[in-house]
Amino acid sequence: MILRIFRYDPATGTPRYDDFEIDPDPGMTVLAALFAVQEQYDDSLAFRYSCRGAVCGTCAVLVNKVPRLACRTQVQALLDGTDEMTLVPSPGSAETHPFDPAREILIEPLPHLPVIRDLVVDWDEFFEKYRALGPVFRPKDSPPENERLMEPGAVHALEAYTNCILCAACYGACPVDGKDPAYSGPAALAKLYRFHSDPREARDGSRLAAADSPEGWWACEFHTNCRRVCPKGVPPDIAIGKARQELQRGGRKPSGPGRP
Amino acid sequence: MPDPVVHTHDVCIIGGGLAGLRAALACSTAGLDTAVISKVHPLRSHSVAAQGGINAALGNAEGAEHDDWEAHAFDTVKGSDYLADQDAVARLCRDAPAAVIELEHMGTVFSRRDDGRIAQRPFGGAGVPRTCYAADRTGHNLLHTLYEQVTARGTRVYEEYFVTSLVRNGGRCTGCTAIAIPSGELHGFSAPAVLLATGGFGRIFSRSTNALINTGDGGALALRAGVPLKDMEFVQFHPTSLFGTNILITEGARGEGAILKNRGGERFMERYAPASVDLAPRDVVARAIETEISAGRGFPGGFVHLDLTHLGAEKIMERLPGIRQIAMDFAGVDPILEPVPVQPAQHYSMGGIDVDIDGSTRLPGLYAAGECACVSVHGANRLGGNSLLETVVFGRLVANTMIADLPSLPPPDGALVREAVRAEKSRIDAILARNGDERAPAILRDMKAAMFEHFGIFRDETTMREGLAAITALQERCRRASVGNKGTVFNQALHRLLELEGMLLLAEAVARGAMFRKESRGSHTRTDFPDRNDTEFLVHTLASLDDGKMAITQSPVTLGMFEPRERVY
Ligand SMILES: Cc1cc2nc3c(=O)[nH]c(=O)nc-3n(C[C@H](O)[C@H](O)[C@H](O)COP(=O)(O)OP(=O)(O)OC[C@H]3O[C@@H](n4cnc5c(N)ncnc54)[C@H](O)[C@@H]3O)c2cc1C
Ligand code: SF4
Ligand code: FES
Repeated sequence: MILRIFRYDPATGTPRYDDFEIDPDPGMTVLAALFAVQEQYDDSLAFRYSCRGAVCGTCAVLVNKVPRLACRTQVQALLDGTDEMTLVPSPGSAETHPFDPAREILIEPLPHLPVIRDLVVDWDEFFEKYRALGPVFRPKDSPPENERLMEPGAVHALEAYTNCILCAACYGACPVDGKDPAYSGPAALAKLYRFHSDPREARDGSRLAAADSPEGWWACEFHTNCRRVCPKGVPPDIAIGKARQELQRGGRKPSGPGRP
Repeated sequence: MPDPVVHTHDVCIIGGGLAGLRAALACSTAGLDTAVISKVHPLRSHSVAAQGGINAALGNAEGAEHDDWEAHAFDTVKGSDYLADQDAVARLCRDAPAAVIELEHMGTVFSRRDDGRIAQRPFGGAGVPRTCYAADRTGHNLLHTLYEQVTARGTRVYEEYFVTSLVRNGGRCTGCTAIAIPSGELHGFSAPAVLLATGGFGRIFSRSTNALINTGDGGALALRAGVPLKDMEFVQFHPTSLFGTNILITEGARGEGAILKNRGGERFMERYAPASVDLAPRDVVARAIETEISAGRGFPGGFVHLDLTHLGAEKIMERLPGIRQIAMDFAGVDPILEPVPVQPAQHYSMGGIDVDIDGSTRLPGLYAAGECACVSVHGANRLGGNSLLETVVFGRLVANTMIADLPSLPPPDGALVREAVRAEKSRIDAILARNGDERAPAILRDMKAAMFEHFGIFRDETTMREGLAAITALQERCRRASVGNKGTVFNQALHRLLELEGMLLLAEAVARGAMFRKESRGSHTRTDFPDRNDTEFLVHTLASLDDGKMAITQSPVTLGMFEPRERVY
């Protein structure tokens, strides 16, 4: 098996692709394959890692043009074609380098974010957009002595959004993020919706208002790439659609390109 | 070298996991100029992976209405095989309900009972269901909550800064040096109070449930700065890690009713712990599984089965969705349909940086909290759900200690920190200048294998002696090791070599502690000394470094609430 890896060293400045031949062990993940490259061929290859168990959100990269967690992606399934995913094309996933999916795996940095080195991108912009929407719990009343009560059903509904690990896979998959750098992006909006729908908050519309702008809820075109690539089953597009409906019920005229 | 960059703050917190963030929150709220320094983005800290839950005697569960902090303290002390300091345990358990309620008030979405209160599940070694949880993603939910709180306060976070040394001057700690990973520059940090919250050192073992970044850097930093490590021989092996990758399958699975079975389909825990069966404490269950496997009653490759199938799809999807996903992603097994292959793996470091009950080390200006510290609240064996609790309780307590100490700690001289950066820079340049075939990954692999083989679940003098010799030889190899990558930006080969130097020190501390302790207690099981020996070893061990040589001494255990008794489950 060949790993075809995007390389970029800011010291030289010219991007290139390197091929590495790796013997896939059974159960080998893309992350394990990257470690094998570092160890056997080139210890200057840079990529991020932490939990190796698909929970920390560190290792998202573009694998065969699809944003995925390297630690969760099985090499064999890619070669066998049993783990294929089709996405609406986005500027970042445009074909730039040929590969043969039966014997080659193409690994590139997450699109739509600046590259620091090799597979490592600069997350600042992604987290800046997250921070800009005020993602912190704002309870409607002063704290009671014990916990605030919550219906188990309400907890389940919220979990769909609290499960987000901020891996930025959706950000790298979203065609709108690719063309409009001002767009908040799926993860930040899903997070905002999580606070909006928390029954312990005031639910006074202020959360919806925070992204009631052409760069917020209304920028989404419902390509649904975000939901397809999300390793945690978070549906940002559904959050966005619901937010728009609620705003429209409140008298707001749709101002975006998409139809909720 | 041009004048190095030096950042000046009131408090430098090294580590952005739960302990570091909880401390940062308290320091920021108190108006201190606070910096969090972390080698990964805080949300990528290992705390995010905690699954099962956090203990507090809320008494929400049926039949647990009378639960109180004293019962929690008793379970913790018994679980610790009486090695925990009981004044510290009392603090932990007394503060627990308020700590959990506070997290809920900050927005954590805990799982709920039908009546809307926080749900509590049974965990090993606990008398009643006491573990609060957010499905099986408790750490994720807590870490995101604290990160949100810290971010909202505008606390300065130095993301992807790898701390390489502590600055020590005139008998106190006055800062640290760190590589800014994205640029490769070495920066200085100057602060009168420095907190180590760097997490565990599980990755010195070949089989570990820990994140790859859990290399125990803080322990090595402290040791080199003259602060001893305590009780390093106590390493927790979790009974149920996924065969193959050793990703954790939470004890919460057994809490929800999952059963361990050997190759013959026998529920073997009935033989080892007749009263608590599958929910005996971790050391007991891990030993039982290892015994089954070595007696030939495991499956080929060395694992047993964790059977959840009888729980039914609905319960698994609701309470254990994360572990179902893990089993499917990493072992190709759906726990609804088939048993999960599991084996014991290193999981938690009970030992760590020696601190007092307020989180102070013996070096003024240096503090420690969370898994890297040893207060000790876990003694010889930690109960599940107690370590998330420790991070938030002692994260806050240590912040209060620093806040109280600051007026008596004059601002350090920045020039001394600059000097330290220059010295550290030449040390690192010398490493980069090395050439040769010896590389970190091979040494790392050999160390991990040696630790699991010689200092694993069962230990004895002969095996350990060989193990220590192996570690010493690896330290020698490490001194020659070089990196191929001579660049600056994201030089992971260099960082890994620096981590490895520290890991080998910790490995030696584990080895020496284990050889010193000629008894079996909690997680430390010696086949040549199978019994607990309170006459000689109801003591903490302290490993310290003097002129490059490691020595073991001992210090007393604080009793007071519960007299040591035989530990039966
Ligand atoms: C899989 C798993 C599941 C668990 N589940 C539970 C559970 O259900 N309940 C429970 O109570 N406990 C559980 N634990 C234990 C618990 O999660 C940990 O003990 C706890 O989260 C440790 O938190 P911490 O803040 O001390 O350290 P960590 O969260 O590990 O954070 C350490 C921080 O230090 C930083 N750092 C380290 N070295 C450096 C350096 N050189 N320079 C700069 N920064 C550095 C890291 O970047 C990181 O931010 C579990 C552990 C594992 C392995
Ligand atoms: S929504 Fe999913 S893909 Fe997007 S950041 Fe969150 S976890 Fe990643
Ligand atoms: S390394 Fe944590 S998600 Fe992949």
